[in-house]
Amino acid sequence: MDQYSILGRIGEGAHGIVFKAKNIETGETVALKKVALRKLEDGIPNQALREIKALQEIEENQHVVQLKDVFPHGTGFVLVFEYMLSDLSEVIRNSEQPLTEAQVKGYMLMLLKGVAFCHANSIMHRDLKPANLLISSTGQLKIADFGLARVFTSDGERLYSHQVATRWYRAPELLYGARKYDEGVDLWAVGCIFAELLNNSPLFPGENDIEQLCCVLRVLGTPNQKTWPEITELPDYNKISFKEKQPIPLEQVVPDASLQAVQLLKEFLVYPSKQRMQAAQALLHPYFFTPPLPAHHSELPIPQRGGKKIRQGLQHQRDFHVEQPLEGSVVDLELVAPYVIDV
Amino acid sequence: MYHSSTQRRYWTFRSEEELGRRRSDANRKFRCKAVANGKVQQTDSFLLDPSEELIICKHYEKRLADFCSVFKPAMPRSVVGTACMYFKRFYLNNSVMEYHPRIIMLTCAFLACKVDEFNVSSAQFVGNLRESPAGQEKTLEQILEYELLLIQQLNFHLIVHNPYRPFEGFLIDLKTRYLLLENPETLRKTADDFLNRVSLTDACLLFTPSQIALTALVSSASRAGFNMESYLSGSLMLKENKTTLSQLLDGMKCMKNLVKKYELPHSEEVAGLKQKLEKCHSPELALNTNTKKRKGYEDDEFITKKSRMEEDEWTDDDFMD
Repeated sequence: MDQYSILGRIGEGAHGIVFKAKNIETGETVALKKVALRKLEDGIPNQALREIKALQEIEENQHVVQLKDVFPHGTGFVLVFEYMLSDLSEVIRNSEQPLTEAQVKGYMLMLLKGVAFCHANSIMHRDLKPANLLISSTGQLKIADFGLARVFTSDGERLYSHQVATRWYRAPELLYGARKYDEGVDLWAVGCIFAELLNNSPLFPGENDIEQLCCVLRVLGTPNQKTWPEITELPDYNKISFKEKQPIPLEQVVPDASLQAVQLLKEFLVYPSKQRMQAAQALLHPYFFTPPLPAHHSELPIPQRGGKKIRQGLQHQRDFHVEQPLEGSVVDLELVAPYVIDV
Repeated sequence: MYHSSTQRRYWTFRSEEELGRRRSDANRKFRCKAVANGKVQQTDSFLLDPSEELIICKHYEKRLADFCSVFKPAMPRSVVGTACMYFKRFYLNNSVMEYHPRIIMLTCAFLACKVDEFNVSSAQFVGNLRESPAGQEKTLEQILEYELLLIQQLNFHLIVHNPYRPFEGFLIDLKTRYLLLENPETLRKTADDFLNRVSLTDACLLFTPSQIALTALVSSASRAGFNMESYLSGSLMLKENKTTLSQLLDGMKCMKNLVKKYELPHSEEVAGLKQKLEKCHSPELALNTNTKKRKGYEDDEFITKKSRMEEDEWTDDDFMD
């Protein structure tokens, strides 16, 4: 603890208070998450163990928050993370005008890269939501809060808890009580976050678990054995029944979105988990290669903690605008040609 | 992924000698500390030497494996493997004279259940002890008291890679690509025995999980009179890579040796050493330093609640302008 000086309090995390601090030796600003062990009859909380487990075994990735250190302190221990200025929920909440298409693409690109990395490392996050997507001072998006993350094994025998994920982002199989599920739950959440970025408001804001299911059904239509063959095997399938409803075309749900955006969204918001598009595959979707191209992270808004001010991205030296296609700002190839050496 | 794991980076060692060195260091450090505290003298007969410590460890490792094997609900193999690995790692740098292996062994199993998401409640866990309800409660208290120490001594490196998954992987590979072997499943039983036996040795501190798994299969095959060398050189493409192949074969030989020379300590010998151990842990000597540190747990909830709250949060004094 001696090597850090506390600068202030950031907030309350899932298992303790989070402080902003400075590493005295390196001058680096970090976030300290304190895990206290008082009056816990089951000892060290699972959430803390999961967080350590998931983050310690993976190599560094630009879009996953880095666990720099863990050390004991008092009657508990402290997790040291890189310090992040803000999170995506603040970006959505505080932006005065809807995000531009290029900005949405920029965020989605970073989110999908992070998710693809986690899944490639056999980690399901299980609690993806805007508040867990942190934004660095340079506009980078990083996935954080691995308190519910599971390192998945494919032995297919272990049961999982369905009480995971924040309600609005919870996949339909979880709402039906599934105990066996896969990384598809993260991809559903990605779809919800995507729609929220497009609309500037949450897609399925259910106020309780039943209403959550209603919200989903209202858009996707009541599931049946044809649209979702596995549904009959889900524990709560027979416990609730809904009036037959036709799906609403997603074009109407995200009215301002481009055609490609709607197409990509459709790939995530489908009932059968296995049919949801893998993150790595989604990164190759035409959406990301059609103008306007994804904004660079330096062109994204960076809100301050507490959500007072919002800076509409750094103004670039050269005159190009985030809403204009990127190729307009690229140096003319013919100018460079004489200097290119053929190999 | 094993490749980027903390197991590979921090807990796989070069040689048996290195393991021996670490254990001797732990023994020496503890003796020095105890002598410096004026509690004992170097010559005191009840102090254990490194080889005696190792015998005690072996005894409790076996007890740990036995405890896990009769655990209800049935404990998955990977949880058992993780618990045993924690135990081995702990006593690589600590002395049994300081921390009693009986409680460390249970704490290892307890933490392994949580880390490996084998969800049993703490009451369920201690329900597996052959003790009275009061005794169980007391043990649970101790486990919780030692959990933080354990996780610290493990350097917060929690994920353990066991040989069981690569073992299944090799079996699938044999079935699909190595048709010389008619029915690879017949190797399973003997190979399983090998994995059980090798788990009591130091192999997991010296070799990768897949090396251990492969050795189990190769030795099982050779027992059945089948030489799998063509699998290693052909299917695993080691023909061209003579150095890797010979290293692998050396490793296999070493593992088979570890299994062969492994001997469960004799009960009379253990009984004698246990007497010494109990003397080390007797209250009048109080060589264990953990109880003092974690007093907060034992104290009455109401009386100490306030002071604990203060301790748990940083106060304004911690803040810098």
